[in-house]
This record gives sequence, C-alpha cells and structure tokens, in this order.
Amino acid sequence: MSAAGWLWYQCNVNLLGRGALRARRLLAERRAKSGSDWQSQCLAPPLNISPWTKELIARHYLEGRYAHLRRKVAWVTSGAPIEFLKALDYYVLYPENHGALCGTMRVVEDLAAEAEGAGYSRDLCSYARTDIGAALSGKTPVGKLPRPDLLLACTNICQTVLFWYRVLARHFGAPLVLIDTPFVYTRVEPHSVQFVKRQIEEAIEIAEKVAGRSLRAARLEQVAYLSRQAAQLWLTIIERCQHRPAPISVFDQFIQMAPVVEMRGEAYTVDFYAAMLREVDERIARGVGVVKNERKRLLWDNLPIWYRLRYLAEYLGRHGIAIVASTYTHAWGELADLIDTQDPLEGMARTYIYPILNRGAGDKLAKMKSMIEKYHLDGVILHSDRSCKPYSMGQIDQRDRLLRECKIPALLLEADHNDPRAFAEGQVASRLDAFIEMLEG
Amino acid sequence: MRDTRICMRSFEIRTDEMGGSLEGIEIPRRMEVIREYRQGGGSVAAVFPIHYPRPLLRAFGFLPVEVWGPPRAGGNWGEAHVQPYVCSIVRNALSFLGSGGLDAVDLLLVPHACDSLQGLGSILLDFVSPRQPTLTLYLPRGGRESDVAFLADELRAIYRRLEVIAGRSPSEKELMACIRRDEEADRLLSELHRQRLRLPLNDASFYRLARSREYLPAEKFCHIAQEALALADGDGRPGAPIILSGIVPEPMRLFEAIEQMGGFTAADDLACCGRRLYPAGSSQDPFRRMAQRIVHAPPDPTRGSPIGERVEHLLSLARATQARGVIFYEVKFCEPELFDLPLLRQALRQAGIPSLTLEVDIGDELSQAALTLLAAFFEMIG
Amino acid sequence: MADILALGIDIGSTTVKIVGVGAQGKATWHLLEATQPRAGEQVERILQIAAEQAGALDGVPLVATGYGRRLAPGAARQVTEISCHARGIFREFGHGGTLVDIGGQDSKVIAINGEGRVLDFVMNDKCAAGTGRFLENMANRLQVPLERLGQEALSTLEEAPISSTCTVFAESEVVSLIAQGAPLASILRGLHRSLIKRIAAMIRALGLTPPLILSGGVAQNPAVPRLLEEETGEKVILPRHPQLVGAHGAALIALEMVKKEGK
Repeated sequence: MSAAGWLWYQCNVNLLGRGALRARRLLAERRAKSGSDWQSQCLAPPLNISPWTKELIARHYLEGRYAHLRRKVAWVTSGAPIEFLKALDYYVLYPENHGALCGTMRVVEDLAAEAEGAGYSRDLCSYARTDIGAALSGKTPVGKLPRPDLLLACTNICQTVLFWYRVLARHFGAPLVLIDTPFVYTRVEPHSVQFVKRQIEEAIEIAEKVAGRSLRAARLEQVAYLSRQAAQLWLTIIERCQHRPAPISVFDQFIQMAPVVEMRGEAYTVDFYAAMLREVDERIARGVGVVKNERKRLLWDNLPIWYRLRYLAEYLGRHGIAIVASTYTHAWGELADLIDTQDPLEGMARTYIYPILNRGAGDKLAKMKSMIEKYHLDGVILHSDRSCKPYSMGQIDQRDRLLRECKIPALLLEADHNDPRAFAEGQVASRLDAFIEMLEG
Repeated sequence: MRDTRICMRSFEIRTDEMGGSLEGIEIPRRMEVIREYRQGGGSVAAVFPIHYPRPLLRAFGFLPVEVWGPPRAGGNWGEAHVQPYVCSIVRNALSFLGSGGLDAVDLLLVPHACDSLQGLGSILLDFVSPRQPTLTLYLPRGGRESDVAFLADELRAIYRRLEVIAGRSPSEKELMACIRRDEEADRLLSELHRQRLRLPLNDASFYRLARSREYLPAEKFCHIAQEALALADGDGRPGAPIILSGIVPEPMRLFEAIEQMGGFTAADDLACCGRRLYPAGSSQDPFRRMAQRIVHAPPDPTRGSPIGERVEHLLSLARATQARGVIFYEVKFCEPELFDLPLLRQALRQAGIPSLTLEVDIGDELSQAALTLLAAFFEMIG
Repeated sequence: MADILALGIDIGSTTVKIVGVGAQGKATWHLLEATQPRAGEQVERILQIAAEQAGALDGVPLVATGYGRRLAPGAARQVTEISCHARGIFREFGHGGTLVDIGGQDSKVIAINGEGRVLDFVMNDKCAAGTGRFLENMANRLQVPLERLGQEALSTLEEAPISSTCTVFAESEVVSLIAQGAPLASILRGLHRSLIKRIAAMIRALGLTPPLILSGGVAQNPAVPRLLEEETGEKVILPRHPQLVGAHGAALIALEMVKKEGK
C-alpha cells in the first residue's frame, strides 16, 4: 500500500469516520437515556446498546468503502468459514447482511427492480435479487460496496448462494472459491467432513495467493478463539429468554445478531456481546420484559420478515404476546461448541457442515420441540418464506407434527424475507388474528 | 403381486407417453419393461432427477426407473407436503408416490440436484417414511479432483447401504462389467444425438427413443439404439433448427407445437437428455470411474457448472447445428435454471442468436400464451 | 363498398377488430366490437359484413391474429399479435423502436428494427398484474367507468402505494386503502403506477431503443402513456388508432401474400 493510500484511509476511516460515528452513538445513547423518543404502549424501549450496534454496522461499511486502500476484499455467504480470511486480514463483506439491511431500510423494491430488469426472475431469492441489483446498478444505502477480490460461497445454507455467486463471479471477474458442504440428511458422514476439510485447505491456498501472504497458525487460532467467544456469548444471551418475562424478543435478536454474523473473529465483537449480556441480565434483575404484560410466548421459525419487524412486534405485543426464541438466531450460537481452537481446520469442517439449514427437516422439528420445552412456549409461527426453499420445505409436516405431538397452535405465515411485494398485509393480519384467538382460546 | 399390478397401472396411466413403434423399431413401454424385469427376478428402483450411477443399482439387481414429475401425477398429495412455490417436478413426485404410483417399487433414490430435491429427500426420510428404503445421494458442485474423490466415497457409502438392503456384495469385477455396459449405452445415446437429423424421426419420436434410457436396462437400450442408428441415412430436415434448453420437455406436446410452427430441435441442453451424455470414465476403480463420468458430464447448473462453461457449450451446439435460436423451456420456480438465464441469453444475443424463455408447470397443458410466444419466436427467426 | 384487397382480423380477449386495406396498404375500412362470449359466431358474422363491404371475399386473403386467431377458419394464415403489431407500427411510422402493447390478456414489449422486423420481444408471465385486465378488474371493484379511469388517476398528484404485484393481493390492498379513507383518485393513480412498473420492468429486460411506442386498447387511457413517460424518462408516441394496429398489420401481411402470388 502506498503512503498516500495509508494516509487517506487513516484520515477517512480512523480520524473522521470513526469519530463521527462515535459521536452519533453517544448522542443517541443520551437521547435514549431520557427515554423521550419511545412511543410504544406495549413494548419496552430498545436496548441501550442499540446505538452501539448501529455504530458497529456503520463502521463496518465505512471500512469497506476504503478497504481497498489497505487490504483485499472477500465477499462471503453467511454460513461460510471466514476464520482463515480474517486471519489473512481480508475485509469480509456479507451480501446477505447487506440484503437484510436493505430490507430493513425498505429499499429492496428499487434494487430488486434493477435485477429483474436485467432478466432475473421474481421467483429467485430476494436477497440475491437485492444484491445482484446493487452490483449491477452500484446503488446501496451504505454508500458504496467494495469490489470483491475473492468470492467464497459455502453451500451449507442453500444451493442458491452458489448460483448467485457464479453470477457475481462473472460480473466482477473475481475468483470464486466453493466450499461444498454435503447435506446432512440423517448423520454427518466422515467422508463428507474430509471433503469439506480438503476444500477449506484448497480455499486457504487460493486466499493466500490472492492476499499475497501466508496464513499463520497462531493468528488463525486467535481468530477462531474470538469467533467462538462471540458465538458463546450470543448463545448465552438468547438463552436468557428462558426467563419470564423474556428480557428481549427475537426482533431484538434479529437486529443484534449482525455482529456475530459479519464481525466474527474480532475482539470488539466479543466486547459488544459482553456488554449486551450485562444489559440483558440487568433487565432480568429489574423484572423488565420486552413485552409489557407478557402473557404468551412464541417460537419463530425461518428468516425474519425484514421490512415488517416493528409491525409484527407491535401487532403481537398489543396482545401480550412475545416471540422469544427462533431457530434462525439460534443457528449462530449452537455452533459455538463445535469451533475447535486446537485443530481449527478439522473443527471448521465439522462446524460448517452442521448448521440447521444443512440438516434434515426432522432434525429441525426436533430442535423446535426442544426449544418449546426449554423456553416454555405456547405456540409457533412458521414463516413460509417464498425466497428460502431449504428453510421452508418441510414446514407443512413440521407444523402438523407440532399440532399433534406438542398440542400447541402453530401458524404457517406466507411471506418473503426481503421482498415487500410478496407480503399481503390484509391476509397476514387475518391469519394472525385467528392464531391469536387460538392461543387465547 | 397385487402391488405390482398397481404399479403397472399407475405407470401406464400417468407416465407412459413413451414406448410404442417408431419406423419399425419397437420401444417397449415402461410398464412392460418393469414387469419383464421383475419376472426375471430383478427389483425396481424409482430414481428422482437428475444424476445418479445406473450401474451401481444394476449391480445389485435394481433396474433404475426415473420419475421426472411425472406430468400426470394424480391427486394433490404433493400440496399436503410442499408449498405452492416449490416446483411441479417435486410436487408431482410426491403426488405420484402418495397416490400409489410407486407402490410396487422396491427402492427410492433421491439425488441431491437442488434445494427442492433436497427438501423432497428430507421430507421422505423424516415425515413421509415410504414403505421402501429411501436412499439419498449428494452430488458435489465442482469439477475438482476433490469432487471426484468425494463422489466416489459417496458411492461407496451407497454400495454399503445396498449391501444391507439387497443382501449381497457384487464383486469389483461385476461392478466393472455393469459400468462398461452402461458406458456403451451412453456412447450409443451420444451417437443418436449426433446423428439425430439423419434419422427418419421427428422430434417427438426422437425423444421417445432417447428418453427410453430413463427406464430401459442398458443392454436393451443398446439394442434399440443400434437399430435406430442403422436407419440413419437422411440428410437433414426442413425448417428452422433450434436448440432446446431446460430440465425436461414436458408436456411432450411441445415438440408437436415446434413442428407445426416450422421448427425442429437440432440439439438439446436438457437436464434429462443432453446434459446426461456421460463420457466414459478412465479409472480402474469402479467407484472413481462412476464418479468421473458424472463430474465430467456436459455443463449443468445443478452440478455447479460455471456460467462461462454453459455459454461455451450452448455456442458450440449452435455452431454445430447452425441453430437459428435457443428456447429455454423452464419449469416454474427452478432456481438452478433461472439464475443463469440472463447471462446465457446475453451471451447468445452477443453472438447473434435469438432466444426465448418459456415457463411451464409440467402438469399443465401448454397455455395459449406459451403457444403465442413460440409462434412469435418462429415468425421472428423463420 | 370499400376498396378492400386484403383483410386482417384481430380477435382479442376484450375486442374484435377487422381492417381492410387497398392496393397500397392503406386502411380503407374497419370494424371494432367488444368480444362476445360466442366469439366464433361473432367472427363469422363480422366476416359476412366484410364480404358485403368488399363485394365478395373470394380472392381477398385474410390473416387472423390475436388471442382467438384460431377462431377464423377462413384465414389464409394465422400470425401472432407480435408480428402484426410490429408490421402495423412500421407501416404507420416508417421506423422501428420499442413497441409496448398492453392487451387485455397479455402485454408485450417488442423491439422493432429499422426495417420493421421483430428483433426480440418479451411477454408478461402468467400473472394478470401486467395486463389491461388488471385495470379493468380494479375499475369494476371501484365502480369507476373504464373510460374515465385514466382521467381520474391524472386528476391528482397524490399516489396511494400499492406494493403487491398480484391482482388478488392488490385488490385486498385497495380494500384496506378504502377503509383507511384514501381518496379514490390517488388509489387509481397508485394502481396505474403498479401496472406501469411491471411494464417498465419488461422494457428494461428487453432494453429500450427509442422511440417508445404504445399500441393496444389501453393506450386510450391517458394515464398510461403519461406514467410510462415518467417511469422510463422517454417520450411515448401513439399511433392514430392504437386498437387497430394489430388488425392493420395482419391485413398488410395478407396483402403481401397477394402480391407474392401475383408475381
């Protein structure tokens, strides 16, 4: 890197950018303390650490904007093993998180239209359409996304990511590294683990070549350690929702999960979740529930509906209903124990072949049943997500079994995680109303 | 015995558009093949799309019979298990199973071709629990050495499962014999594709012949293919040559429509046909050899082929046949297909080759709108 | 009696149009009717009227187009609306461009080159949200006469957001907008916007080569060209008789057949 580049980076990111973002956070924290902004009758105000999350996310994209001045950039899928990329000092960008951010900021229609205009079908995943639209048009609410020097697609969440990354590879002319994780129908086969491990080794070689440096074992161990720390803290936090009333809801989790997904392997992420845990424990000590007057507790299955988080939280909150657990937010915590800092490669292979989305539909049902017990839940909402077939297929049978075997109401709610055009408010409301009547009946 | 009858009837009613006599070549119907095979002491395995090792099943005495949908699966059993945004191939497969269509089959094999077939396999194993043993096969998505090695291991694992199910352990030699026979059938199938325009067969007949590979034992198919190749003496066909790309040409009425509009299919990039012209393997290890054949097959998005390879493949097919256009005939909701389309079409456009996308539900008849699109396309390239 | 050397009939899902042309291809006679449930009989009757106009139909070639083009058994050829609209437009303007034809059953965007040939085209998918039927259904639901739909929509600058792309969902959105007291005109404008967005997406998918031309019955709705201009940033030009373009094109193809045979 040139001296001028270094200076420009320091100036924009570390001097001006970070300072401005910190100031914004402090202001927001002060405002939150006075409590004057919060309007909701039924929901507790957002967590005090919320401005911190915002700062982390904004800083992440700010660093991305100038990343090329200092380091190589990798675009990765949300379930990809990124520890070696971090250890090689890549800036790591998650198009899915960017997609979700676009969802919460309600700019998906515009970006998806760019992709659809280029011929991408509306039946394709809305994250992919959002991201391809952003890549084609250069539009993004975060200012600018850095071009990838490397693309890493791991199929442990879906095959969709591979098709999507093949499109990106052709668009950016960047090398695509594939980590193919054989689906775990019933049990993890040793030859599958070996296959994944071998691919990680191959991926490391390519990543080293692109980065022009070699991976140091000590650094990898350190990153894996930090990854594991963050994942463990995250799991501890979401398990605090076993308390009645639940201190936070899944809607808080959806927002606060960003760092554990896209900033794994960083010390500041561990600090952040340690602070979050303290605040959650404080809420528990004070008996504060996220839903005032919590009467019923639910499980959420599948991705969030990013553009309607507040709507759903309020709608249910008004009836004293809190959604306190989800299979989705759990996914990033339950892997913690698998991350092995002693043998990081073998550990990575075992960890990354095993997320909930890479396991059978019966396994997910078992997971839901155990969560129902552990979190004392009264019902389940299964978001039937048009854009995510691997997560959604099997839900019809899962719902059936939950009704029969757990004897609790379960609702299949048709929507899409990112495309508001597939959300029919009238239909959703009437389904929710009927479901609420069942819960109360 | 009762079960067998149900199975025969179901195949007859619902999937057997194929078979019959073509220019004096007798193509046995699917149900006859199944009956005969069972009478000879064999068993039948129903196999879902797309890639799988035929000789491995044959070595254990299972005749693979493929289930692509099927288009006329009865009932709406599928809807009781999968959402409306899941493709009709998977939905119909479930309906077919649920309505007794596979009652007399002895084994189910679900290859992992896409997220939807993954879901199908998972739902079968965990919730539907069919009477028959259900096997799954994960297909690696790269063309690397590690992919061949993994697939060989995956096939070894299936071998071990089949050992338990069938109660026997075919020797390496037996396995190699099955593989060689299968390679011969695929060599002849490729030859049929190469010589298709010299055969006295229209599209509908050609595909009845080519797709009989989906249920005929390899040795029977070889015999029929040789008979057909002996008839190759024509020199091309009148009309506008096109290339057909997509998953499966159902309903087969499509070919009639293409012919009426003055076109013919000069080559295809269909998952059930042209993408399964497997080359012979080179390894002397039977498992590696079967794996090589699948990994080195023509480009296919469900095996993770890069878009560039697909573009090259389509362009070379177009050059070889002087095709005037490409028709992408897609099953609605098929992600592997839909993702590549814009870049494939763009590359074809740059090469001066017009293309058309038609989206269908394989259970439906061709819609008026689809026919209008086809007609307009042939008016444009004609 | 009119000077009719060739005829084109466009049997659409909403209207049936027939055009007769003279030796130079100029339209000399036409007839337009709403499509009746027994379209076959209707077509027969219309052809009889044409026979009276032309003197006799012997030797007057007929080309049929449109959704019901197979209902005219006497037709020498059946040609799709896509080719016919392209032909009709090229005859009227003498140049190519990007033609948008919003029909009752389906909508098409057609790229026409400098010689009047179809270069490429796209058509809406199965869903009705991108067709004239969408507006028609909504007009019925809101009890606004179809011919006033566009004026009403243009009478305001306020626009109720309709995000659903599905006709069924959009209808439920409209119901809830009414319940929230949104003004009728702004709902109508929102509905038009939703349709035009679909069309604009099709235009983008094909690539816009100016000029942008609009044909088909929906072109008579003034809000459609206006919003299409807003959405694409391109001026929209209209043929004199947007509804007759397809039938005229069909008649021109029929006339060419006469000339070819004559040679």
